[in-house]
Amino acid sequence: MRRGSFVQLILVAIVAAAAGTALAIFPNWLPEPASKEAGRIHFVFWFVTGICIFIFAIVAAVTTYAVLNFRRKPDDDSDGPPIHGHTGLEIAWTAVPAVLVTAIAIVSAIVLAKDDAEGANPLRINVVAQQFAWTFYYPTYGNKRSDILRLPVHRSIVLRMTSKDVVHSFWVPQFSQKQDIVPGIHPTLHITPTRVGTYPVICTELCGLGHALMRSRTIVMEPAAFQKWASKK
Amino acid sequence: MTTIAETHDVHVEHGPKRPPSGWRRLLYPGFLRAAWMAPLFFGIGTGIVVLCRWWGGWEPIWFGEIIVLVGGLVAGPVGFLAGIGAFDYWVRYAIGAPTIPEDHSGHGARSWRDYFRVNTDHKVIGMQYLATTIFFFLAAGLLAMLVRAELAKPGMQFFNNQTYNGLFSVHASLMIFLFVIPAFAGLANFVVPLMLGAPDMAFPRLNALSYWLLPIAGIMMLSSFLVPGGAFAAGWTGYAPLSVHQPMGTIFFNMGVQWAGASSIMTALNFLVTIITMRAPGMTFWRMPLLVWANFTTSLLVVIATPFIAGSQFFVMFDRVMHTSFFETAGGGYPLGYQHIFWFYSHPAVYIMMLPGFGIASEVISVMSRKPIFGYRLMALSLLAILVLGFSVWAHHMFVSGMAPWLRVPMMVTTLLIAVPTGIKVFSWLATLWEGKIAFNTPMLWAVGFVSMFVIGGLSGIYLGAVPIDIHVSDTYFIVAHIHYVLFGGSLFTIFAGIYYWFPKMTGRMYNERLGKIHFWLTFVGFNATFFPMHLIGVQGMPRRVSDYDPVFANWNLFISVASFFLGASTIVFLYNMVTSMRFGPVAEANPWRGLTLEWQVSSPPPIFNFDEIPQVVGNPYEYGVPGARHAVLGGARTVEKVPVD
Repeated sequence: MRRGSFVQLILVAIVAAAAGTALAIFPNWLPEPASKEAGRIHFVFWFVTGICIFIFAIVAAVTTYAVLNFRRKPDDDSDGPPIHGHTGLEIAWTAVPAVLVTAIAIVSAIVLAKDDAEGANPLRINVVAQQFAWTFYYPTYGNKRSDILRLPVHRSIVLRMTSKDVVHSFWVPQFSQKQDIVPGIHPTLHITPTRVGTYPVICTELCGLGHALMRSRTIVMEPAAFQKWASKK
Repeated sequence: MTTIAETHDVHVEHGPKRPPSGWRRLLYPGFLRAAWMAPLFFGIGTGIVVLCRWWGGWEPIWFGEIIVLVGGLVAGPVGFLAGIGAFDYWVRYAIGAPTIPEDHSGHGARSWRDYFRVNTDHKVIGMQYLATTIFFFLAAGLLAMLVRAELAKPGMQFFNNQTYNGLFSVHASLMIFLFVIPAFAGLANFVVPLMLGAPDMAFPRLNALSYWLLPIAGIMMLSSFLVPGGAFAAGWTGYAPLSVHQPMGTIFFNMGVQWAGASSIMTALNFLVTIITMRAPGMTFWRMPLLVWANFTTSLLVVIATPFIAGSQFFVMFDRVMHTSFFETAGGGYPLGYQHIFWFYSHPAVYIMMLPGFGIASEVISVMSRKPIFGYRLMALSLLAILVLGFSVWAHHMFVSGMAPWLRVPMMVTTLLIAVPTGIKVFSWLATLWEGKIAFNTPMLWAVGFVSMFVIGGLSGIYLGAVPIDIHVSDTYFIVAHIHYVLFGGSLFTIFAGIYYWFPKMTGRMYNERLGKIHFWLTFVGFNATFFPMHLIGVQGMPRRVSDYDPVFANWNLFISVASFFLGASTIVFLYNMVTSMRFGPVAEANPWRGLTLEWQVSSPPPIFNFDEIPQVVGNPYEYGVPGARHAVLGGARTVEKVPVD
């Protein structure tokens, strides 16, 4: 390869990487995190994004360069050079992606283990899903029942989930944690809210006629305010 | 080109026999016979149901749902198949009536009518497949337009929730089972025997039968809109126990999948036997074109995986009509088991829908770049690697399902590892382009468009493979974006590449290049405008499969809907080009792309038995630029030695 074309290739790659980076930064991709778990998941998201921009830049550069430079002239009937392969290149593009995905797998596994771990003195809440409503029970507070999920900020929460009929799924985008609730199985989900506010609770598994309307809210409160609400009969 | 009569005994009659006149015509295989046999079989099915219920004393004796199931979805279609003559030869053989082994009366097409019969010519069947699948592609596309119309604004516009859920469920089912999978089967049906140097598929009658199962499956799924309660509405995934308790339309999905699946399995068996036993002399496995390799691996996937979805749908149906408890917790069933069985098919199905496209891309990119495919053996081996790995990743669809938590990390590792063989393929295509003499005609635009779109789909797949990110984006529009980048930007783009690439071979005429390019660019722009923003709104928090959504997503949804109508309209250019070129296009040469593979060495369209003499394969299929290289020698030794007259 000539030196000039190599420079050209690198330039296209830089432009592609810049475009990819701009696309990653400018729209607000992830909702502002409101839980410890969301913070970690967002880290994985940006880690993967970095690797993807790198791969995208290489592919985009090679494709663009090839499309622009290797066009056949209309009257040219000749063939290209008979290159059948290149062992070094083939080993490289087998090994490099393998290393990159291994890195992603390791980071993901660590984050997953952390997000699944229960914090000290967790608050346990039972979540009951049915077509098409959410109900929340607080066993620590005399099994207090609520249609809105109220949580104290900065406290480890363990949600134990039950479905009365079909598969539902619990999701709060700002917490980034999601869990399907298959009837007969009682999965748990760990959340540590970090920001006071009101966020949507969404059912994300198609559960029938009213699936689109199966919504509730979660309100993250200061511990004192939560205590006051929870002790009220 | 020589004519048919030279290589075959002139006494064998080719083409259809003339149908008899008068009442005997009712017994002649065809739509007329199907018109009375289908109702007859429906009646028999109904009779069995009613008799059994009367005998067992089950009320009501006339139970509509079971009658529809047994009479309408099982017996009736069998009657239809018997009527059009799909079983004639086998029935004659079974009852001991004389059969004609060298009967070619159902082979080949002399007029358009021959495309509406049970035809044993793989080329006719290939065209039947393509025409049928394009019909269902249009139907499913129109359903998508309705979905986007509803989503253009927040709140409810045109449909109620149940109808809306039906729209996207039928859209996906038709696109998957009646378009992508069989469209690839159709292209391969036409091309694979030609590429192998074979006169036809190994089992031509089975081939004909597997085609005729398709319209049955498609009409079944579409007609579910007409039954009480509306179309099946539990998504194409049909998760139990929701699907067990849906209105009657669900059984149309359960059974439609059986018919389409049976068709897939039979075709795959046919491909396997054809590829293993009918390669021309000299065509070793390492001399097969990559399209043949791709269909070989795909067929293995189909044969191993498809019985699992058949089982899963039967179980759902049994829970419903026979009150079994496969997925009913009340009776000790295990609903999560449905997801495991379903995805054990449906993940390999993703590769069933992609590997043939890889094959098409390899053909087009090599020919149009005038270069050998880069790393041929590694390309074939990476197909096999995807085949093996593809069976070890199914639970990545279930990271949030509540399955055994330990399963998530191993499944994540295997999932991410698939990026390696897939990456090998992408990099090898790019290396094939490098320093080539690239002709950017329509097939090549689709092929390069496919590579670039598939890279985006592959990268979003890495996000989904990483469990923590998957937890956040599961069941959001990010998933919708990802699958459309893979199945639209991947599968559909390669189907278009294949249709344009082999159009001259199939029809004997050339498509309009200008319109082809316009079609590509309109689709390319419309596709990205429609599906790229879905990544964003998904990550931001919009769940999928909802008829109504948070108004914060209103602007993007309106944009996506408008773009999708634009995308839908681009198909009109394609249809216009196909229809007019088929009739009025300039007559095509035998080898307009100067390809080396065998299908280009015969006339366009090919002779009725493909090759006048069995070709002798002498080299690799992609030796562009190698001086004097040949893939095959035709017109050498004749298959039947003529007795010298002296």
